[in-house]
Amino acid sequence: MDASPPRGTGMPGADREFDRSRAVVVTGIGAVGPLGWSVESLWEGLIAGRTAVGPFDRFDHTGHRTHVAAQVDLAAEPRRARGKPRRISNADRFAVAAARSAVARAAIDPRDRRERAGVFFGSSTGGMFESEAYLAALLAPAPGHRRPPAASLLASQQNNGPGDAVARDLGVGGPVQSVSAACASGAIAIGEAVNAIRRGEVEVAIAGGSDSLCRLTYAGFNALRAVDERPCRPFRGDRAGLSLGEGAAVLVLESRARAEARGARPLAVAAGEAATCDAHHMTSPQPEGSGAAAAIRAALADARVDPEAIDFVNAHGTGTPLNDAAECAALMAVFGDRTADLPVTSTKSLVGHLLGSAGALEAVATILCLLHGEVHPMPDDGRSDANLPLRLVLGRPLRLARARHALSTSLGFGGANAALVFTRVLDQDHAR
Amino acid sequence: MRADPVITGLGTIGPGGQGRAALARALALGKPAVTEVDRAGGAHRESGARLAALVRERDLSRFIAPAAGRRMSFPSRLAVAAGRMALEEAGLGAADTGGARTGVYLSTTFGPGLFTELLLRAVFLEGAAAAQPFHFSECVANAPAAQLAIAVGARGPSLMLTQREAGPILAVARAAQAVREGRVDRALAGAVEEITPLLHALLDRFGALAGPGDGRVEMPRPFDRRRDGFLAGEGATVVVIEREEAARARGARAQARIGWSGAAFDPTATVSDWGDGHAALAGSLAAGLREVPGGARGIGAVVSGASGARRGDRLEAHVLRAVWSGDPLPPLLVPKAVTGEYGGGILGPALLALEGASFGPTPGFAEIDPEVEVAPHRGAASPAPERVLLTGLASGGGAAWLVLERTA
Repeated sequence: MDASPPRGTGMPGADREFDRSRAVVVTGIGAVGPLGWSVESLWEGLIAGRTAVGPFDRFDHTGHRTHVAAQVDLAAEPRRARGKPRRISNADRFAVAAARSAVARAAIDPRDRRERAGVFFGSSTGGMFESEAYLAALLAPAPGHRRPPAASLLASQQNNGPGDAVARDLGVGGPVQSVSAACASGAIAIGEAVNAIRRGEVEVAIAGGSDSLCRLTYAGFNALRAVDERPCRPFRGDRAGLSLGEGAAVLVLESRARAEARGARPLAVAAGEAATCDAHHMTSPQPEGSGAAAAIRAALADARVDPEAIDFVNAHGTGTPLNDAAECAALMAVFGDRTADLPVTSTKSLVGHLLGSAGALEAVATILCLLHGEVHPMPDDGRSDANLPLRLVLGRPLRLARARHALSTSLGFGGANAALVFTRVLDQDHAR
Repeated sequence: MRADPVITGLGTIGPGGQGRAALARALALGKPAVTEVDRAGGAHRESGARLAALVRERDLSRFIAPAAGRRMSFPSRLAVAAGRMALEEAGLGAADTGGARTGVYLSTTFGPGLFTELLLRAVFLEGAAAAQPFHFSECVANAPAAQLAIAVGARGPSLMLTQREAGPILAVARAAQAVREGRVDRALAGAVEEITPLLHALLDRFGALAGPGDGRVEMPRPFDRRRDGFLAGEGATVVVIEREEAARARGARAQARIGWSGAAFDPTATVSDWGDGHAALAGSLAAGLREVPGGARGIGAVVSGASGARRGDRLEAHVLRAVWSGDPLPPLLVPKAVTGEYGGGILGPALLALEGASFGPTPGFAEIDPEVEVAPHRGAASPAPERVLLTGLASGGGAAWLVLERTA
């Protein structure tokens, strides 16, 4: 067994263009989710510890064993964010709105040097929700209704839909890459974007993920008995599964040098990234969390940040018994005795599991926590688990005014693991 | 010695059979191996396309134990079999691929279609309780990549790129970058696709497929004036990528060196078709080829992603003509006319082209389209090229290119 972790960085001299020392910063963030259509509404909900998981009406779920999810209020979509209504899926709409918000915050126009801007996007189901309507009409037509449904419902079915929609909307002309690695998709897409900037492939990367609620995932996770009948309770002793959510999140990434040259104030440094695979099982995590631990170690090494320097963790934290246990084991393997004192939160406890965009939304949440000097809480619901000795942020925010480095983890089906390290930009960094 | 990574193994399973010899035979013949698609499901149009390039040799037991195969979807089995075939050719075993220094970078357009359909069909027709957990775990798009990683113990990055027709090239390019940049020591990269009767019917309803209209023979006609769509094809192609010095140190034959790669996007494209942005795409490709020894003139053959798609082939032709402006185009090989669209039908033929394999005349091509003014390969023998350019322009706007070079 090869115990050496993968290097998350390039070997010096291996590629004349790949520059590990090229600092990559976040200059824009955007988010659409069950807490609203803006970063502000996301933060308000997160810091209040207000869960968006509850009854939902996106589709008929009467035959399922569970009846909760965290859905986006489609009627609340700001007029300025609306995409072309035809042939655009919910996932595309979320992605476009989040991307527009992120580039506006970054004060960039990707069209300015469009061939030097790229899109790196994760999705696990793309426009599946709309495709289901087509398939339902095709496979089980209503009595007397034999006319084939409009094929336009299928136009954006594939997982490249959200990333392509963003690229078209923003007029991007550089590389566009859609990643599907289940629940790690969004985080891996951000990692790919970081490396694209390091190698000089793009000057600006619009990176994130988008997924929408759909019957496929709701039925599938229910069939696996992986959905809690109540809002999910990550890492709690009575946790009984995840809660599904939907939405999109986007980061605008560029080199620190470029941001400084144009006078932009970075929100955070995207300091480290890494991805690994458990190579263990399609749906069950490796019980000791070895694959996740390898990803965390590699991301820390990539960021040149010691484990002791991490101030808090935005955990994958789904609320499923096996996943939370494996993730806790991974954190203990990396952080050792310090794990018990390391603040851990799970954004999924408030917005549900956004699947292919979870890693992206949690990256935004992590950056917001660094910016505000506060770690958002999880609902203080359920009982503690003696087997998971974590310092969970429960009930109210944890003030960490001096927090500098934070870790965000994403662990997906097929054993796909990703870890991202974000570093707060201090005032003296700006003064340099 | 150059730092560029090399390809040391090829595994390919397609409509022509299993392995590189079967692929070479199909390409030399210059005739697509088509199968009549099962239309009993009732989703097809009466007048629509009837043929697809399906995998007919479905016994993969040489690569996957039956018990293990039963726990996988067909695309997962294809990916595992093609991956193991590639490793076998590269002379690598489980001891080499186990561990965190091997990554898996595959691509797909539609993901495991049959299992997705089965799960949704159960929900729609029998109710939510009929959904099978096994179907769900295998209907995530990255399942084939994950199953390949599990099968060979690869614990580096494992991801599925989903960029439609640009995906296979992008997957190889990203894997090569990961090797070049030292993030992994070796990678398994490629593409996998499954064409189900329902997917075939839907592609046809979308107007994407070559049809039998007006009494014509149903076949793709890349670059031809009468082209009306592509031939849907399934299969898997996986290559082994590693650093050249590592390959040489263990005595492995480097089949090709991975040179320049690039990607771009055409924002004039619609969600389901190709755009008109050939000038910008040509600018990106031309800029990239300036990094290639000899520039565009150093390209000995283009292994084109053209497929017979009306607007896709036009865009491809306009991009190539703009890049080679004033110069004759290199020989234009169009393997998807034989292998069908999807399943990485472009990767294996590119390696074979570098080795001087014979390519038969491009099937379906008879008449130059005055709108594109490009003629694909007509079967004439030509020396093995020093360097080939692979092209992949995707509906929706994606684009990817890759240069493969012959090694000494």
